[in-house]
Amino acid sequence: MKFVIESLTKNGGRLGQLHIKDGAPEQRTPLLMQTTKGGSIPCLSADVFESHVTRKPQVLQFTLSTIDQMTEALAQWNRADRGLSDYVGFPGHLNVLLLRDPCEMTPAGGNDRDIQPLFTRRGKESLSPQRYMEMVASLKPDIYQGLCDADTNADSSKKRVQKSVDRTEKFMQYIYENKSKVESALLAPIVGGYNTFARTQSIKHAHEQPADSYGGYVFEGFHTNGLAATTLDASKLLPIVQHCVGQLEEGKPRMVPGAYTPLTTLELIGLGMDLFDTSYAYCAAVNFKALTFTFAQDADAVVHVPFLDITDDANKEDFTPLLKKCDCLSCKKHTRAYLHHLYKTNELLGPILLMIHNLHHYLAFFEAIRQSIASDGLQQLTELVRRQNGDSQVDYGIAPNRKVISKATMGKGFAAAAV
Amino acid sequence: MSPRNIPPLTYKVVAECSVSKARAGLMTLRHSEVNTPVFMPVGTQGTLKGILPDQLIELNCQILLGNTYHLGLRPGIETLRLAGGLHKFMGWPRAILTDSGGFQMVSLLQLAEINEKGVNFRSPFDNSECMLTPEHSIQIQNAIGADIMMQLDDVVKTTTTGPRVEEAMERTIRWVDRCIEAHARDDDQSLFPIVQGGLDVPLRQRCVSALMERQVRGFAVGGLSGGESKHDFWRMVDVCTDHLPRDKPRYLMGVGFAADLVVCVALGIDMFDCVFPTRTARFGCALVDSGQLNLKQPKYKLDLEPIDKQCECSTCKRYTRSYLHHIATNESVSCSLLSIHNVAYQLRLMRSMREAIQRDEFPKFVIDFMARHFGKDPIPTWIQEALKAVNIELPPAEEKQEKETIKQEKHEQAIEVS
Repeated sequence: MKFVIESLTKNGGRLGQLHIKDGAPEQRTPLLMQTTKGGSIPCLSADVFESHVTRKPQVLQFTLSTIDQMTEALAQWNRADRGLSDYVGFPGHLNVLLLRDPCEMTPAGGNDRDIQPLFTRRGKESLSPQRYMEMVASLKPDIYQGLCDADTNADSSKKRVQKSVDRTEKFMQYIYENKSKVESALLAPIVGGYNTFARTQSIKHAHEQPADSYGGYVFEGFHTNGLAATTLDASKLLPIVQHCVGQLEEGKPRMVPGAYTPLTTLELIGLGMDLFDTSYAYCAAVNFKALTFTFAQDADAVVHVPFLDITDDANKEDFTPLLKKCDCLSCKKHTRAYLHHLYKTNELLGPILLMIHNLHHYLAFFEAIRQSIASDGLQQLTELVRRQNGDSQVDYGIAPNRKVISKATMGKGFAAAAV
Repeated sequence: MSPRNIPPLTYKVVAECSVSKARAGLMTLRHSEVNTPVFMPVGTQGTLKGILPDQLIELNCQILLGNTYHLGLRPGIETLRLAGGLHKFMGWPRAILTDSGGFQMVSLLQLAEINEKGVNFRSPFDNSECMLTPEHSIQIQNAIGADIMMQLDDVVKTTTTGPRVEEAMERTIRWVDRCIEAHARDDDQSLFPIVQGGLDVPLRQRCVSALMERQVRGFAVGGLSGGESKHDFWRMVDVCTDHLPRDKPRYLMGVGFAADLVVCVALGIDMFDCVFPTRTARFGCALVDSGQLNLKQPKYKLDLEPIDKQCECSTCKRYTRSYLHHIATNESVSCSLLSIHNVAYQLRLMRSMREAIQRDEFPKFVIDFMARHFGKDPIPTWIQEALKAVNIELPPAEEKQEKETIKQEKHEQAIEVS
């Protein structure tokens, strides 16, 4: 894995090229990775994703908590050297293996001396560093994250934060000693909640290793995934991130998994973060929100709202698209009224159409971000996203919807809703 | 849209089997041409669960079924009218057929009560009392705007016997006249009457004769596929197709198992619908010629083959049984993937039958299909009898067994009807 910085401005973000492996296309950063559940882009088949979202090769973000049960099959599959992405229907796409699903809240607790809890659909599993490395060897991701305890958020006690740093250090000792047994590139985990001292320690632990031991960093422990990331207090998060970034070398990419809002994402990019995922677009879709915020600099001075709430009865006879001027399938062929009907009737096509729109919108957002950095306009873009041409800051937080389309509503035969 | 002087439905027989009653036809509707025999996937509430309209077009699906009962409740007649009909509302440019809503009343609602006026039921949403009359059913179907609509019929359980069956049949005939009278869009939509008469041959005959006196463009055969014996089932279909006119399409309601489709095409049916292929997909089952694979079974965990190597659907091109095993009934995308495969399977089966009829090789197709479908198991007597009635003789069991021993290897993943 190689990472080259193309341009860098203070508080204006950085543009880079991420070269993950030979023969694969280079990825431009800031990069939006496609988050997956059970190996699939949520609600979308590979065919639908490629036909209606994008044909460009993506970096798929796999989570061990949703694919651990496939390890045995993948060990067999990979004997023919076919790869994890190929197994889930995306041959040729790059991938990153994380531990936790950024789309769902990770339960607290279950932390043990030598074992990391892994919350799968079967319940809590115990993951030892040994077992983790065996699984990585079987799954053969292009990139994997180091094992860490990230069970912290803004409310965590000092003691819990310190534990997460200490346990992570211990897990990582084993990973560094055994990483030569796997071919995948490693991301060093940086934990330590909202405590500058703890974060510094965690960075120091990574820096004690030779520089080529790992290819980048993954920042966790700011939130416990799911909707929590959409409502976290950016004024607490950003100073910590800034503190950490000051201690990092430029030449390694920095990943921040989770459903950060578009505004927080821009602020994190401004501080020098590089790798993000689509969990925000997913969290919005399953809670029946179509993303409608504007990121076009030349937008008319119209005030935009962050999302369209599909559940609102005002949509019942509104035969306009989700977002005017959007050229995704959902907006070109379908209406707010139809989406509202699909919500009312618990139909699976609702989240499918919302995922198509939200992913389409978010990919375009990231394209706009990269362009703005190139033209030194990230701060301008951040202000546009912050106020959407209005007077006050827009709230991008996502409140849970009572009626998420769950397994239970998909009819008999579908397993009862897990978690 | 076609000029007004062309009827909203024209049907012509393209080829007929020289042995059985099977026929291939071309039905031209306002929104699509439909090659028959055809299987119509069921999109109950204005969507085929988990599938985009674009994907259905890619599968070359020409006609979908919508349920009047569900659509009348949600989104409701007003919204449908404002949208300009169901085609526009759901973004489906091709043909649609709607049922009358009567069947759901009886199957879903225990409180339904039928009298001469209509079907009296309680709304499942606000528990208020509602009455679905023939006029009301047509009014909703006119708002939906389907290419083909069904009369409201008096549905009785298929296992009912005695005077109630005759009463339902007679009432169905009276109601078709009220439906025709209420039908406000005969230039765009074709109303099919429904042949009733339970499992009674003379009643079925009488019903067909009476309905044939009405000006209609096609016929449905109803009141079957509801738990009656297969022996009675095929005889009723056979009686109806014997008496229905040759130049109009015949629709057998609620039939969709592969073997039933093949037998009923041989008996002269042109149109079918069934929720089975998409419902079984949600249970993790994939349709193949030998029956269905229940992908949840542990034996598929390490099976790195596609569902069916011969299948050209997008699911078989990209995914293994092993991956589908892991996500079936757990990730919602598995519903979409298996539904695509199962709809593709049904449509391919129908296409194979059409092509066999056009080459006049349908009997051979039937014999080969039954061998693949039943493998080592004996072919049910009712299928043998039904096919024999239309001059298709299946090979005797002994000979079959010899053949099957050779094929044994191939049939290892035998039928797994859940």
